[in-house]
Amino acid sequence: MLNYIYKRTSHALQVLFVVSVITFAVLLWIPGDPAQLMLGADATPERLQTLRTALGLDRPWYVQYWEWLKGFVQLDLGKSYLFGQNVSTLIAQRLPVTMSIAVFSMLMAAVVALVLGALAAIKKNSTIDYFSTIVIQLASSVPSFWIGMIFIVYFGIRWQWFPVAGYVPPQQGIGPYLASIALPSIVLAIGEVGMLLRTVRTAMLDAINQDFMDMARVKGLSGFTIYFKYALRSAMIAPLNVMGLQFAKLIGGTVVVESVFALPGIGRLILVAVEQRDVFLLQGLVMFVTTLVILIALLVDIAVMFINPRIRVEMQGE
Amino acid sequence: MRKKLVALVLILMMLGTVAGCAKTGTQTGTAPDILKVAYLADPQGLDPQRTAAVATFNITGNIFEGLLAVTPDWEITPRLAESYTISPDGMEITFKLKKGVKFHNGREMTAQDVKYSFERLKGEDSPKAGDYKNISKIEVVDDSTVKFTTASLDVELAKAFCYPWAVIVPAEADANLKTNPVGTGAYKFVEWIPQQQVMLTRFDEYHGEKAKIKDIGLVLIPDATSQLAALQVGDVHITEVTGNQIKLLKEDPKFQVYTEAMNATQLLALNMENKALSDIRVRQAIAKAINKDDIINTVVWGYGDKVGSHLPVNYPDYVDTNNVMAYDPDGAKKLLADAGYSQGLTLKLTLPKSYQIHVDTGQIIADQLSKVGITADIEIIEWGQWLSDVYTAKKYDMTVVALSGRLDSRYFLKRYRSDSKDFVSLISGEVDQLLDESGKETDPAKRKEIFQQIQLILAEKLPAAYIQTPHKLFGMAGNVEGFRIYPIDIYEYKDVSFKK
Repeated sequence: MLNYIYKRTSHALQVLFVVSVITFAVLLWIPGDPAQLMLGADATPERLQTLRTALGLDRPWYVQYWEWLKGFVQLDLGKSYLFGQNVSTLIAQRLPVTMSIAVFSMLMAAVVALVLGALAAIKKNSTIDYFSTIVIQLASSVPSFWIGMIFIVYFGIRWQWFPVAGYVPPQQGIGPYLASIALPSIVLAIGEVGMLLRTVRTAMLDAINQDFMDMARVKGLSGFTIYFKYALRSAMIAPLNVMGLQFAKLIGGTVVVESVFALPGIGRLILVAVEQRDVFLLQGLVMFVTTLVILIALLVDIAVMFINPRIRVEMQGE
Repeated sequence: MRKKLVALVLILMMLGTVAGCAKTGTQTGTAPDILKVAYLADPQGLDPQRTAAVATFNITGNIFEGLLAVTPDWEITPRLAESYTISPDGMEITFKLKKGVKFHNGREMTAQDVKYSFERLKGEDSPKAGDYKNISKIEVVDDSTVKFTTASLDVELAKAFCYPWAVIVPAEADANLKTNPVGTGAYKFVEWIPQQQVMLTRFDEYHGEKAKIKDIGLVLIPDATSQLAALQVGDVHITEVTGNQIKLLKEDPKFQVYTEAMNATQLLALNMENKALSDIRVRQAIAKAINKDDIINTVVWGYGDKVGSHLPVNYPDYVDTNNVMAYDPDGAKKLLADAGYSQGLTLKLTLPKSYQIHVDTGQIIADQLSKVGITADIEIIEWGQWLSDVYTAKKYDMTVVALSGRLDSRYFLKRYRSDSKDFVSLISGEVDQLLDESGKETDPAKRKEIFQQIQLILAEKLPAAYIQTPHKLFGMAGNVEGFRIYPIDIYEYKDVSFKK
């Protein structure tokens, strides 16, 4: 086990290092000068130079990178020159928003996909199976900004069930908080449910045809126990991996949905950081998201381990 | 366990729905004491002397004030100054300061603060420092008198004291102005949550007429459709809208619409360093091939005024030059043939992606040019790249952009001097002498004549094909009064109120 933790951690650090170098290099190579973006079109060359010096942008890239890396290992992500605030503060402000919609949309997508996917597989070629196919097609093909707009028009403006834009932190009341993230979460859930549903259905079909299912039937277990305790459990490995990927994607930002619903999330912060060439801000964000993705992958692996005894055995035998 | 969790989540979601209804249900009733305004892009900090971002000035115009101010009708009025005098030779301007002006931190403003602020504005990390280079000396004559001396004559000197960056800041708050602005304005700063909102509240010790509405909540909504939705459900009272949204608001008595020409010019810059474009006949052909009415009607739904030269229509020195190079595709073809391009001509058209209006305009122009035999190869690039490639390095053939104006024509037109090194310039030098004269002429009437001459020359020589003065469009709740558009990048919320 210790060996495993060591391996995972060293892998994670390598990934972080490579990603940080790539981010840094890309931001330096793409055209666009942060000093020019800050000072605007009127700036004289001298003033641009002064600002570049002040920001340390005139130093060689490896010096800039080294400075940043030194800060990073001390958990100091530096200051955003765009906002004048600490990068860690800016991320901390946005994290609750992104986490909220990521968690809620993932939960919703998972519930729908598991129930519908399992039923579709159990009752293959039935009405519910066709219905699930339609859901898969629709959910994967309709763009999220359009669903967002439709939701705003009906749920926001016409019926006024939900606020049309903005985020209310839970400290200001759990009701308004949930109302503010409901629509964006549903929109995102729709975006994810198609893929997940298809994975669940396929995995479940596969599981139902396994030998141990016959065994369970022979034992005379009830249908519910057979399907939801044994088949679904063994069918969970592929969906769990898909969910891990989807959750990681949601954490990394959902710029379109965040813009449509005016949510101050990670996605829009990344967008602004790229547009304005805010090196430290982008670097901090990318590191943060990468770390989360690595952690999620780890959690998925652990979850799969618990679900599937075979993988646990392999681990011990290693 | 899993089932319990799912049930819990579903219950919470339902509660959220109910609470959401409750919240939106209570929004009607008496006039609120908070004015909510939507905005599209975050400010780049709230220190007006350390940024060039319009989004910053839009907000800080309420927190900070200058010695002078400009009205929506382009009039210069004293603000923190009580009066000002300009010496007979025009080289000195002396301000008598208003008494009893307080900063938001409670300290009284003095002449020392004025000196300090302008030195700060001229400082190394101030983007606008170049504009104030000409001020060679700032003297504190007494506690309430400050004298500025210029190195060379500037006939428009007073206007330099009206801009949203020429403001008075207290030295003790200097270090944190970017995140914690302290000024003398009618509103003081409460909080800024980046990418979310800015809150301001009335400054009760304000030296002038106090703000009518107690609180201002500026809410960031980065999507135009969502902004309109927020206005429709009453989450905001004022928001910018697009031309196609206006119709919807006009039909609804609960809302009102307010539009005004912007102090800006949208143009198709033509790089005279390009061989084909260095030929005036080619530039004139391009201008004649462009149907501006079509552009205005499609891109901004008619909310624009076509122009034939650089100054916007609401400028005091504006002269109508639309007929100098009117739409005439046949004439354009003839000019191109004369210039030796009867077989066709291919030019690159670079468009800034962040500005949909310019991208749309560029696409229509490309289509119109194709009808006279010019192929425009469209290249859409990011704003950061546009600034470095087009604006700074001048690596372009044609580009569509809008340039925003200041209060004096000379500042707006000086890029056309042959030696300006600006991305759009009249390098053949026909307006150099006139620009020099305008800087020395103290008689406003004569100055106006010079500027009109320059506009006529530009309309004919065409370092750019001039397209339109776009309009600013606002949608507002029906009960909002007193909101105005200014010729510089500010909105003064102190004059806004709710109808009883």
